[in-house]
Amino acid sequence: MADMKMLDASDRGLSSGYMMWYRFSRNPAAVIGSLILISIVILAVFAPWLTPYPKHVGAVVDFRARHLPPDASHWFGTDKAGRDIFSRTVFGLRVSLLLVIGVLGISVPVGTVLGLIAGYFGGWVEKLITSLTNVMLAMPPLVMALAVSNLLEPTLTNAMIAITLLWWTWHARLIYSVSKSIASEDYIEAARLAGAGPIHILFREILPNCLAVISVKTTLDAAFVILFGATLSFLGFGVKPPTPDLGSMVADGRQFMPDFWWEVLCPGAVVFYVTLGFNLLGDGLRDMFDVEN
Amino acid sequence: MAEPLLNVDNLNVSFVTYGRSRQVLRDVSFSVAAGERVALIGETGSGKSVTAKAIIGTLPKNANISAGTISFAGRDVLSMPRAEREALKGTAFSLIMQDPLSSFNPVFKIGTHLDDVMRFADKRNGISTSKAERRTRIAAVLRRVQLADGERVMNAYPSELSGGMRQRVLIGLALLHQPKLLIADEPGTALDVTTQDEILNLINQLVKEENVALLMITHNLGVVRKVADRVVVMHHGDIIETGPCAEILSNPSEDYTKALLEAVPPLYGPRVIDLPRSERAPIVTVKGLNKIYGKRPGYHAIRDVDLTLREGEIFGLAGESGSGKTSVARIIMELSQPTSGTIDIDAPAPGRGRRLTQIVYQNPGTSLNPKRTVKQTLSLPLTSIGMDADAREARMRELLDLVRLPQSYLAKYPHELSGGQKQRVAIARALAAEPRILILDEPTAALDVSVQKTVIELLMQLRQDLGLTYLMISHDLSLMRNFCSRIAVMLRGEIVEEGVTPEVFSDPKHPYTRALIAAIPVVTDVEERLKPIVTEEERMRFLVKTTA
Repeated sequence: MADMKMLDASDRGLSSGYMMWYRFSRNPAAVIGSLILISIVILAVFAPWLTPYPKHVGAVVDFRARHLPPDASHWFGTDKAGRDIFSRTVFGLRVSLLLVIGVLGISVPVGTVLGLIAGYFGGWVEKLITSLTNVMLAMPPLVMALAVSNLLEPTLTNAMIAITLLWWTWHARLIYSVSKSIASEDYIEAARLAGAGPIHILFREILPNCLAVISVKTTLDAAFVILFGATLSFLGFGVKPPTPDLGSMVADGRQFMPDFWWEVLCPGAVVFYVTLGFNLLGDGLRDMFDVEN
Repeated sequence: MAEPLLNVDNLNVSFVTYGRSRQVLRDVSFSVAAGERVALIGETGSGKSVTAKAIIGTLPKNANISAGTISFAGRDVLSMPRAEREALKGTAFSLIMQDPLSSFNPVFKIGTHLDDVMRFADKRNGISTSKAERRTRIAAVLRRVQLADGERVMNAYPSELSGGMRQRVLIGLALLHQPKLLIADEPGTALDVTTQDEILNLINQLVKEENVALLMITHNLGVVRKVADRVVVMHHGDIIETGPCAEILSNPSEDYTKALLEAVPPLYGPRVIDLPRSERAPIVTVKGLNKIYGKRPGYHAIRDVDLTLREGEIFGLAGESGSGKTSVARIIMELSQPTSGTIDIDAPAPGRGRRLTQIVYQNPGTSLNPKRTVKQTLSLPLTSIGMDADAREARMRELLDLVRLPQSYLAKYPHELSGGQKQRVAIARALAAEPRILILDEPTAALDVSVQKTVIELLMQLRQDLGLTYLMISHDLSLMRNFCSRIAVMLRGEIVEEGVTPEVFSDPKHPYTRALIAAIPVVTDVEERLKPIVTEEERMRFLVKTTA
């Protein structure tokens, strides 16, 4: 304890930005993870210019070139319609990233706000929100998602809605526990005594102290959302063909296993690569912020 | 002279944090002879704990011993192979830990903690022992730390024992293998004064009976006088001076030591400050206050408390943990509702967003939001009273001047400030919307004694300049002697004694007050002699039992 205090005192001269960067740059997981993610974002954004056959995204059929194994002109081989799998996986990344942005863009703010409110106010508000999250968490996610996309039309938007409906609960629960412990800190009481209203306390006093937890959780979640999205489209509840999607590409290639293994393995490996990137970055961020759980 | 038991020679330790190396110990040399009691004193960051860790071998990974030797009974500890050094722990030297609560795993019984340590040490020494046999040995050790009912203590979970009893068990843990040197890192600091006093007596007695040497690490100069023959004063990683305890405390040669002694509030003697009494009208009147937590039967935290705060005075509410002093303050702050009783504050109603009372918390580390700059923290109360941006800017400059911080500190985050600077910011925040009454909840308990002195001086000045009334809650009676004009002592929810401070201290009426004053560690022998006398029977009646 005593020497911890001393370390604090000695770090006084360093800015928190420098300390963050120092920990980040010395954390191989975080660095590799962010390099992977940067490569993915560049590929997805500039897909039309970076892929050899951007036209193969659409309804192109070239039977002379079907089921070609990987070579110099088709890095990942071709599929049953003779389309370049590499080009299609790169475009498939766009769908995955859209899904992540759509799902987390809604469920993270919603979950965070509900969690903050439940943790700070307590009483019946807390009971209501925690009961609601508990009920939602009790539903098997895949069954729920299948039901929603079955009820509506199987499109990307509907898959997003289905996943979002489930996802906010995890964030609400996490932020609830953090917010509840912060709410009992002296500085929150001091802010109340200084005349702060609930909006100020929730978003200016408690939220900044949750940002580390939120960013770690969101990054790790991105990996799960991609996997979940891929699962849904593998089962046929995702993007409509011919739009390329990593999950449905694996599903399409499945019937040709094991002869034309590249049709499953290559898009599968890309799912792995993206998931790994998010997970590494998430773990790295966790070490960096010293966040537990 | 014979070879000293422990010899630290030119020890240099540096820490690497964020790629920067920083020296924390510079040429530290001292020795402890067999049976001798040596105190290592210094303030936060002086390197006293690092020195202890270097001796035990528990320095953190980023520490590096760049030069120097540590030898124990003539053998160089630093060059020993790991296993051999490991074997020294417990048998050659052992550590009495600081925090009696967090040192125990709450899900294991006390007996299990002690048995684990004994079993592994026996294994290391190649002795196989039975559980029953170890239990009798443990019971014997517990008797030595005056826990007579060893069986009950061994079967208890850590949460079932009082803080004092846990501290005794920790001392027993250190004694299990008859070490030759006991290293005590601020023992009893987390406990109440009366309990701390008993723990120090116990350590003294053990050192004498078992003929072990003691290396005491502390920031409290009063503790030093009680338990040390020789004193080593450290400051910023250097040894400032070394000498016999009596000489250092009565006649120090270095300026730093002098300043340190100067900063300790005296209990008796010519240095004591008597504050003038306030004869003005009462500003806060508390009548028949009761507070019961929980439902039937509930915990009766405050019983029939009557209090009057006169305008402009500093009223001290003294008491140990659990005495109800903080509950009284929270009710006066309207942070909690009394079960019965009335509180009248005789002052004109404040304007929108203003309060008559404000509080300064004990620990500035937790009372300032780590993610908000000083400016953001200070502007909050100013926004609530409806000030526009320009007025806020001007008022913030004024506030920083009041608490004597430079204007540039507005942009800083709490982690960039020292403890004393943080507390100044907390004081500025409390004063921002011009309250009439300031509640000080142990405002200096988390600060070093030299910093405490400057914060107290600041508070005195502010009271004079702004005409404030203070209600100070504390267990530190020597501080209250010099800071409060009137004082009330609380015991288990009741006020047992109340009066003008000099009178309470010169002639305490209630035996509990006498016991409290007698337990305060003081720096000079003169003060020790002036303390009230407490009979053993009185101690038994009013103090928390720490023996079983």
